[in-house]
Amino acid sequence: MIDAFPHLLAGLDFRILPEQIMNGLFVGAIYALIALGYTMVYGVLRLINFAHGEVYMLGAYVALFVSYNLGFGPNGHATTSSVANLFLMLVICMVVCALIGVIIERFAYRPMRNASRTSALITAIGVSLFLQYCGMLFLPISPPPSIDEKVNPFRGTKVVTLIPAPAAFNEKIGQMQPLADKADKAYADYMTAHTGADEFNLPPEGQALKDAKQTADGGVLDAQNAANSKSVSVNIRYGDLIILCTSIVLMLLLTYLVMFTKRGRAMRAVSHDFDSAALMGINVNHIITFTFVLGSSLAGAGAMMQATFKGTAITTLFGVLPGVKAFVAAVLGGIGNIPGAVLGGLLMGVAETMVTWAGYSRWSDAVAFVILIGVLLLRPGGLLGSDKVEKV
Amino acid sequence: MVILAGCDTTPPATNSTTTTTTAPSGDSGDKKLGRPATTGAGNTVTGDTIPIGVVASSTGDQAPWGLDCVKGAQLAVDAANAAGGVNGKQIKLIPADDASKEEQGKSATEKLVDEDKVVAILGEVASGITLQMGPVCQDKGVPDVAVGATKTTLTDLGNVMFRVCYTDDLQGPVMANFAYKELKLKNVGVITDKKLPYSTGLSDAFKATFQHLGGTIVGEEFYEKGQTNFSGILTDLKSKNPQGVFASGYFTEVGPLVRQAAEAGLKIPFFGGDGWDSKEILKTGGDAILGDFFCNHYNNNDPRPEVQEFLKAWKAKNGDVPGTTMGALGYDAAAIVIDALKKSKTLSSLDLRDALDNEENFHGVSGDITLKGNNGNPPKRAVVVKLTPQGQVFAKGYEASEVTK
Repeated sequence: MIDAFPHLLAGLDFRILPEQIMNGLFVGAIYALIALGYTMVYGVLRLINFAHGEVYMLGAYVALFVSYNLGFGPNGHATTSSVANLFLMLVICMVVCALIGVIIERFAYRPMRNASRTSALITAIGVSLFLQYCGMLFLPISPPPSIDEKVNPFRGTKVVTLIPAPAAFNEKIGQMQPLADKADKAYADYMTAHTGADEFNLPPEGQALKDAKQTADGGVLDAQNAANSKSVSVNIRYGDLIILCTSIVLMLLLTYLVMFTKRGRAMRAVSHDFDSAALMGINVNHIITFTFVLGSSLAGAGAMMQATFKGTAITTLFGVLPGVKAFVAAVLGGIGNIPGAVLGGLLMGVAETMVTWAGYSRWSDAVAFVILIGVLLLRPGGLLGSDKVEKV
Repeated sequence: MVILAGCDTTPPATNSTTTTTTAPSGDSGDKKLGRPATTGAGNTVTGDTIPIGVVASSTGDQAPWGLDCVKGAQLAVDAANAAGGVNGKQIKLIPADDASKEEQGKSATEKLVDEDKVVAILGEVASGITLQMGPVCQDKGVPDVAVGATKTTLTDLGNVMFRVCYTDDLQGPVMANFAYKELKLKNVGVITDKKLPYSTGLSDAFKATFQHLGGTIVGEEFYEKGQTNFSGILTDLKSKNPQGVFASGYFTEVGPLVRQAAEAGLKIPFFGGDGWDSKEILKTGGDAILGDFFCNHYNNNDPRPEVQEFLKAWKAKNGDVPGTTMGALGYDAAAIVIDALKKSKTLSSLDLRDALDNEENFHGVSGDITLKGNNGNPPKRAVVVKLTPQGQVFAKGYEASEVTK
């Protein structure tokens, strides 16, 4: 048994641990944004809003259509973008998603308000399936569209070196690079001189140049790999950084709205005791609408960032997997608890990448459900949730 | 939604069993002496028209393939009907949508066989869906000509199973040969979509040949169809220092995967199988995917007369050129069935099966197809194409006999 551990640990590469933790946080930020919507609705209505993943999906489509209108459509020719474009996409996504959330609440959930909780839950599942499959009739799904990467002016990666490779390695790369450049140029010149030459069936002199180029390039790559093996660095994609920063700003804004405004206090009162809050003169319907506005707009923001910065192909099932994972995140943090949802989302993201880091990427999706089962068995209230027994 | 998600995330039981049985044994398909014979009664043509079914994804994320496949098959049927049909009877193509889902592929097949009484079924493009359709066809005695399903073990389901495409036993080794001999890569990583029987089988075939040639597989990572964020597996793979990556999944995930890989600093060649075949991959993959390679069934630039006539007919009916190769393969599947119908003793599905099993040197758009003596797996030519801003460009062709396995 003990002998097995060195093997288990042999697959762990601690040099990439910092980057994997960052990856986990970036994934988790999106989960957290979606989880907030689940948790807030549960807080005020005691309803698991299963259609939340579909609000997220519709948000991605809104982002797609806005990007089309900005000139990045299938026939668009825009090549440069700006922060203003991204901001516009974000705001429109949030507004439209808020509206969709309100409509779902008004027409699907409000008529079920006094029905049993199970009926409301089934309604939510119904809305979810309705949006997934009716969406297929009206939204472009084939081929699955995606947002043009050019809409994001911040492409590229920032490499933060924590422990640099020994100088000797970099010197070696420095020596080999000019040779590789020379070989590349010789081959490129040959190909320009012989237009129409088949690069996979070259005459001997061309093949010799190609072989030289491949050997030289391979040498540089090997030297770079050797250097990488001795250094610790973190690659941070600018897109991911934007996702994380925007998420933090939105979450701070949410905290302010919920904790420091009159409406936020009313929301907390409704969450605490629905009937008493109504008796105290709070317009419960307004507060519920407000809750859906907040939750759905956060999902819209998450969807816009995911679809724009990750290049994901969008279908009407775009929200299924993220929706389920965010739901697990909300349960993990303690459903109904706002900081809990953020904590749960980040933990979920990190847990998934840690499983991948350990060499078990085959199981990285299963971890969400293992966590769900674990939480339900050991701490049903979630990490930050209250464990009080409900009176039936 | 909870229930749905359960299905989405747990690989179906068939997945795990098929993964283990796809030991890349090379030419196992050819050496087997026979496949289980069907015991079904089959369907017989009774009316004035000959019904042929086609199961394809008209909706869902595989619709680019499914729609092309139906259009291609319809072209072949139209051509045959214009030439007088078979035995004076016109052919009627009945499409059934499977919405890119395995279980719906099965129910679509049952509907075609039981209600429409078809004598043959064309499809599917995807191996996972065809695996569900096969047992129905075998049970009922109706031949199935798979269009783009390349999973090697597929035709072992029974003697009603045929295909007009190559198998993963060819395209995996083709890409391994190409990577090792042409791109001169020695250490590669593999990324597999664990939810697709196609992807797991293709990765296994690639790995076996690449190692046999002398290369090293430095690491294998997995994701699941529908996953959107690949940073974890990419960081992991990068630490293993691969010189190239074989990504055996579908274009829907491979595009974003390659784009995110470039952003993660993994600026090395990516290559894959015919699951990459879609114009959309240029969009989802962005600039990062330009210059990468994949294995395909044929190429529009091919000067062979079959190809050029097919393209002319396609343009006249549908405008433009087919977006995927499934147009040509759908055409070939329908054309070979019609050819076999003409040679069949009677217009019954069992006689049609025998006639299909005797097809030799049928001149298809995607190359010559010989089903006789091949247990449903015709030896086919494969082409490696390069992705450029203009689309797919022919890079290198491989005859089945040229490939080291």
